Amino acid sequence: MTPNRRDLIAAFFAAAAAPAPIAAPMSQQAGESTAIAGKRPMILHSDRPEDLETPGEYYTSWVTPVDSFFVRQHIPRPSKIDPASFKITLNGMVSRPREITLDDLKKLPQYTVPATLECTGNGRGFYSPKVPGIQWKRGAVGNAEWQGPRLSDVLKLAGMNEGAKEIEFDGADTGVAKTPDFVRSMPLTKAMHPATLVAIKMNGDTPQIHGFPARLIVPGWDGTSWVKWVTRITPQEKQTAGFFMNPGYRIPSIPLPPGTPARPAELVVIEGMPVKSSIMIPGDGAKFAVGTIPVRGIAWAGEEAIEHVEVSFDGGAKWQPAELSPQKLHFAWRLWRVDWKPAGPGYYNILSRATDSAGRVQPFVPSWNPSGYLWNGVDRIGVTVEAKA
Amino acid sequence: MKGAVAAVLLAGAAAVAVGADQATLELGKKTEQTSCVPCHSLRLVESQRLSRAAWDKELTKMAGWGFTAQPEARAALLEYLVANFGDDKPAAPPERSADGRK
Repeated sequence: MTPNRRDLIAAFFAAAAAPAPIAAPMSQQAGESTAIAGKRPMILHSDRPEDLETPGEYYTSWVTPVDSFFVRQHIPRPSKIDPASFKITLNGMVSRPREITLDDLKKLPQYTVPATLECTGNGRGFYSPKVPGIQWKRGAVGNAEWQGPRLSDVLKLAGMNEGAKEIEFDGADTGVAKTPDFVRSMPLTKAMHPATLVAIKMNGDTPQIHGFPARLIVPGWDGTSWVKWVTRITPQEKQTAGFFMNPGYRIPSIPLPPGTPARPAELVVIEGMPVKSSIMIPGDGAKFAVGTIPVRGIAWAGEEAIEHVEVSFDGGAKWQPAELSPQKLHFAWRLWRVDWKPAGPGYYNILSRATDSAGRVQPFVPSWNPSGYLWNGVDRIGVTVEAKA
Repeated sequence: MKGAVAAVLLAGAAAVAVGADQATLELGKKTEQTSCVPCHSLRLVESQRLSRAAWDKELTKMAGWGFTAQPEARAALLEYLVANFGDDKPAAPPERSADGRK
């Protein structure tokens, strides 16, 4: 990213001169909890393994800095990986099984893909009835510039055989006790897409907590597909059968009544992500004095691009367009903003709703599912505007 | 005799109404320490608010992933989870990590 582009977007998102909130939406004390190396204070769902959510007020730039990017891990991170001895095994339906090094990845043509990464369970905490799993609200999503060779070029190093339909990936992390290993597979069409990378850099850096020295970039697909610390790539005929493919990370193909159990035969693997917007600033429950109030958010749409975002300040009766950041890219989010002048004191329900380039619209009520995946309901916060003293 | 039976029945009904007894809850808390902590932070558990049926299902899932406990201890853990982290309890207070930047 050039400095000019960064400045442009920073300028776009900068809050107008505005009254400071009278009270923070939530009172949180840092200090008693565990510091996570390299991270700003994050919403701490778990420190072992690290599961960290990005607080709303950090969403002020198009590129999410590594120090505030969310972290989701099922199983403990691998111990420190030495880049010099790091290897990826290419095996399975290939003509030349081999191991490749980080240098081999660096020698291939390098591409940069800006893409939004969202945890499959982001927003689980909004579903009712509650379902098991981390109760993410808005902040298990970030946007970064990922750099590395295309997966299709990496596969050429081993010569993929005819008949391979799926590519399986394993990472260096391993389960504790009898926890299943995190192994995933992806259909050939997505694996061969020019934007699907084996990334060796994130925003120019190589943060181990985000899967480096090498992680998959699967633009527009759920975070679960973006395997970290990749150590093995295996073309094969069939979809991988392990827990993290089935029953994990599947949704009902036919919607179910809320609170009812999954029907295994009707579950399908999650692939592309839905259209969605979130209100990041102010926080839910914030209080303001009468004046101009900056309302800021993000919108993204899986493999599509964001067409427009509308905002309502009266619970959804009237909608107005939000101003969008200029770049309309597939795979990457757009920032949106409205400088709002409330008519007077009171409690206001603020809503946001996104529409994408395929015509998909964020629904008021997303389909409940037993694992709480893919929450994309119209976002809503409530704020109180008080008369000036 | 009839009176004694009725008193026992009433006592039983009262116990059900107020939930598990203290000894059970203590055994449940101890089981959480010995059986859950080896693999992950208790934050993963205690940040959730689930129904009895959902907690029971989670324990069965975790048993497949290496959770071990005697039947009595498993039952006590379920009571402890329902009593403290049931879906009728208020949401967990949000917590933030300390600053980890150098």
